[in-house]
Amino acid sequence: MGKDEHHITNRIRELRFHRGEMTQGELAERTGVTRQTINAIEGNKYSPSLEVAFRIAKVLGVPLTDVFRHGDE
Amino acid sequence: MALPVPIGSIVSERLDIKSYKSDIFAGSVMGSSFQEKSLWLMLVSLAVVFGAYFRLALPLRTPDVNPANVGLFVAAVVVLVIAQIAGHLIVALFDRDDRTDERDRLIALKGTRNGGYVLATGVFLALCTAVATTGNFVTAHVLLASWVLAQMVEIATQLWHYRRGA
Repeated sequence: MGKDEHHITNRIRELRFHRGEMTQGELAERTGVTRQTINAIEGNKYSPSLEVAFRIAKVLGVPLTDVFRHGDE
Repeated sequence: MALPVPIGSIVSERLDIKSYKSDIFAGSVMGSSFQEKSLWLMLVSLAVVFGAYFRLALPLRTPDVNPANVGLFVAAVVVLVIAQIAGHLIVALFDRDDRTDERDRLIALKGTRNGGYVLATGVFLALCTAVATTGNFVTAHVLLASWVLAQMVEIATQLWHYRRGA
């Protein structure tokens, strides 16, 4: 969010594809957020809380650092 | 040789119909969430109902608030409540998913913050009019206008954040 909104990138779209072409809706359902929030996270427009970030990683079956990456890394 | 980006992800970017079919309306009103539709409903109903109220009430200006103003105000509130209940019933027919999450709560807080600034400014202006004018008509209507404007700014802020995605 805000000034840092583009500093955190993610591979959610790619990882969804590798998890049986999981839709945004399915991922949203399993992580307890709305589809619009998953869409905003994928588009790097919203950085989720640690809680949601960990849940996304768990549902996608990978470590958190495989999903999210800071721009400086 | 391993490619830096898996072919699958490129395919998913271009041809992931399964994902896109749920995302295809994301930028349109049809693809907006229940919260967005609800906010649009509240914004339009507030603008129409209180726009009509001020258009009818201000020409009736007297030093103090008069019974005609009170009647108009009560009518405006009743119409607003009925319009919003009916509107939400219709919205619920098209979108039954009214779940909210942390992003909705953050966006709501940003809306409340901006609305609060407007309301605080309006209260200050109302205090100025209380000192500068005789009777309570102007003060009461500056307060009411401030509240309506604060509500509209709160809603517009939320809609803006929903539209830009954050």
